[in-house]
Amino acid sequence: MDAVNWLLLNAGDAVLATWSAVKVGAAWAWSIVDTLLDPLLSVVLACLNPLCTKLGDLVYAILSPFPIWIGLTLLSVAAGLIALLAFRYTSNQTAIGRAKDDIKANLLALKLFKDELGVTFRCQLRLLWAIARLQRYMLFPFFVMLPPMLLLLAQMGIRHQWRPLQPGEQTNIELRLTDEAPTTDTTPTEPITLQPNPGLAEIVGVPGADRTVWRITAGSPGRHILQFHLGAESIEKELVVGTEFQRVSAIRTRHNWGAQLLHPAEPCLPADATVASIQILYPHVDSWIHGANWWLLSFFVISMATALIFKPLFNVRF
Amino acid sequence: MKPLQALTTIMLSLTAIIIAGSAVSCRPDEVDRYPKVVVLGFDGMDPKLCERMMDAGKLPNLDKLRKTGGFKPLGTTMPPQSPVAWASFITGANPGGHGIFDFIHRNPEEQCMPFYAAAETVPSDDGWEVGEHRIPLTFWPFQHNPTQTLLRRGGTPFWDYLDQAGIPVWIYDIPANYPPSKSEHGHMHCLAGMGVPDLLGGYGTYQFFSTDTPSLKREPGGVRKPLIFINDTAIATLTGPENSYLLKPASTEVRLQIHRHPTDRSARIEFQGNTVVLKEGEWSKWQKLSFELEMPSFLPNEDVSGICRLFLQQVRPELRLYVTPINIDPSDPGEQNITEPPEFITDIADELGLFYTAGFQEDHKALSNKLFTDTDYHSQADYVLKERLTLRNYALDHYDGGLLFFYFSSTDLQAHMFWWDSDEKHPTRPLEEAKKYHQTVVDLYTQMDDVVGETVDRFGDDATILVMSDHGFCNFRRQFNLNTWLRDNGYVQPSNCKSLINPRRGALVNWAETKAYGLGLNGLYLNMVGRERDGIVYPHEREALIGELTQKLLAIRDPQNNQPIIAKVYRSDEIYSGPFVATAPDLLVGYHRGYRASWSTTLGDMARNVISDNSSAWSADHCVAADQVPGVIFSNKPLLKREPALVDMAPTILDAYGVPRPDTMEGASILKSDAVTLRPD
Repeated sequence: MDAVNWLLLNAGDAVLATWSAVKVGAAWAWSIVDTLLDPLLSVVLACLNPLCTKLGDLVYAILSPFPIWIGLTLLSVAAGLIALLAFRYTSNQTAIGRAKDDIKANLLALKLFKDELGVTFRCQLRLLWAIARLQRYMLFPFFVMLPPMLLLLAQMGIRHQWRPLQPGEQTNIELRLTDEAPTTDTTPTEPITLQPNPGLAEIVGVPGADRTVWRITAGSPGRHILQFHLGAESIEKELVVGTEFQRVSAIRTRHNWGAQLLHPAEPCLPADATVASIQILYPHVDSWIHGANWWLLSFFVISMATALIFKPLFNVRF
Repeated sequence: MKPLQALTTIMLSLTAIIIAGSAVSCRPDEVDRYPKVVVLGFDGMDPKLCERMMDAGKLPNLDKLRKTGGFKPLGTTMPPQSPVAWASFITGANPGGHGIFDFIHRNPEEQCMPFYAAAETVPSDDGWEVGEHRIPLTFWPFQHNPTQTLLRRGGTPFWDYLDQAGIPVWIYDIPANYPPSKSEHGHMHCLAGMGVPDLLGGYGTYQFFSTDTPSLKREPGGVRKPLIFINDTAIATLTGPENSYLLKPASTEVRLQIHRHPTDRSARIEFQGNTVVLKEGEWSKWQKLSFELEMPSFLPNEDVSGICRLFLQQVRPELRLYVTPINIDPSDPGEQNITEPPEFITDIADELGLFYTAGFQEDHKALSNKLFTDTDYHSQADYVLKERLTLRNYALDHYDGGLLFFYFSSTDLQAHMFWWDSDEKHPTRPLEEAKKYHQTVVDLYTQMDDVVGETVDRFGDDATILVMSDHGFCNFRRQFNLNTWLRDNGYVQPSNCKSLINPRRGALVNWAETKAYGLGLNGLYLNMVGRERDGIVYPHEREALIGELTQKLLAIRDPQNNQPIIAKVYRSDEIYSGPFVATAPDLLVGYHRGYRASWSTTLGDMARNVISDNSSAWSADHCVAADQVPGVIFSNKPLLKREPALVDMAPTILDAYGVPRPDTMEGASILKSDAVTLRPD
């Protein structure tokens, strides 16, 4: 038993060490990709986000007479159909058809010649090769569809992931400073203030070395522009108060393509700002269909189902 | 698939969904299948105060019940303590039938080692030892015993008979039923109340952090920890549950980072990615905490989820932060089972969010330890009541026939701290203040009257409504140290001993010369040969010793006013019957109103004086002679039994459904006259 324990404990330690190394490696690799992509994507997203947000507002205004889950369903169906058509015209349908036929043929061969060891091995190899080919043919349409799909999901996210604060509801606003911002041990050298606003019924703030947190109580409904002052520097952030379904911008950050992609509703903070980000902790939308995180599942299930149902109609193979 | 086929499939699926939905909505209504019986249990609601307030027109709804149905004092148990009384309500039996005789029992095999009477945690004694851990493998072929908590209340609860008869039962916050008893037939839903521990395993351990606490200090009900601020930031450690998988169990911890505003009276507290900003005097909402139980490296660590609220009592000159006992998380209770069926708790939490799950919700210890002011306690107790009223609304909304029982602790735990109905000197407050706070009890009764009114309005005559309490209340002005008295009269030896069990108090008792000892709030045990480990009293000496003790106890007078202190001394073999009588105290001391066993008596300690003033904020009590603090019973149906008692409640409920009363229950329906319920034999 001692030997088993020794083996298990050392194996466990080895797995944990490997996992830590993988995480460190992945983080390092991502930081390189991020550094390489950021100068280009950040500029592209800064141009695209306002357009996409306006388009999103228009689409959701059209869907507004319907219950939210119907709007989500219609949008998912439309996305599924568009993605299907995009796939139809950007993929090599003939090659995909051949790869699928090869897969079917080899599966059939595996069933028919299961007693023939040599045939079985050959079929398995061919099967793997056909699957690899199929994956390769999928790559191009996938990369074509990825950008518009991400932009669409970002627009859906700012509407389905968080909801506006209700009047009287409390939450926190967190303002983070950049590493370069001048601070003492505990507080910024310049006092940071959040100006009174009709959207704020109460403000209680506590500064810290790297960030200041305000607990706010939502005031009157509407889209409010909050003003933060840090010495001579003035920063704005949108606050949404209301009971209706509408988009909210949870975070406003400095230029970074990842943050810009996920939070497209507000322009980036100025590059020379001492503020790194301002985040409003909006509550999650509470719904099993269109609420936080579930909307994404609903979207994929409905859009995939749509694509599968309409696949024969448009004669698409995948 | 052809396009037409695809469209046909969609249409057929939609049609099937619509038809299925219609079928569900057209299901026969089950609302009226079972008679409705609604029982509202107000712990400690006092009949005298009720009567005074009804006469003054301040309890209109209860007064209406008094006039249309009935109102009577409800005979309580001896001792009139909540776990004992509610266990008798549950089983319809006297304490000899359910085995709960006090909050605290003793194990005679270990002479007088005390333990909580209603539940017992049995640690795992076997498991797979690997590295620094011991993992119980509960599956075949190992079948190790995991650490588990067992319900020690004996007897059969009345709801088992209803469950068997297929009658739905909904029980909320019931005391003396933790862990909740199982429903064999699936018709019972129960949320356990008094007796449910916090995550630290006790009955409420607060954690208090302050800059004016010089060093860590443990006290009954909590622990005080020092805080040191460096540049307005301090680090604190919140202690969580023990990791019982470790061979040497150690507490888990969560780190708190506290930032104090440099100039304003506010602070922010950060832990596990959460940030709470509070102004001085503010309470936070419920906060979730995750305590990680470290496992061997080849297994994933386990997480235990808990909830707490933070109270920023003061920011300057000293920062004082109170953290409630860490309650079991109702949305993620893990292995902690506090409801039957186990998923009932998450169903409630899905709808209501987080709420107190520990049995003692009002933190009276924080007030007794002078950590809370009266206002702090009142605000915390008020929050508890608000939560319970929300839970009550949930209970009513989900009730569709059968039995509904709902328990309120506020009438007990607010009364313990705020009740004072005389002009005598209050233990801690000037008389004016005492009167002011007694008014909060009066106001609370008015709120409870509204609860009754809402229930009556909702059900009218469609339901049998029973409003009851387990005991009444009285001032607790003077405390009697039973063990000191026994020592001074030679029943406990040596004459200089200070405690039965705690060596830190001073000299311990010599059991070879000790004939009797006190433990718990009313219990007096003889040191019997063959029962106690070091017993010296032989059975043939028992009667004489009981007679002698009874005579002497009844003769004791308070030197302050020459009034008798003890109203009655009960013999357990006379007032109890049932399978558990042998484990009961031999005698039960029934004090006069105004008196109670001293704090030190309960755990076997001795004080300097036999009788002294109560100096605690716990200024009212009910652990006196049973006939001095009856409870209440109101009903919208005529109360026909002449002297209803707690043990009658279970038979009353069973009778409402035509379920025969089992022989283990000794009472009879209070809605039938005594003549009718007499048995032919």
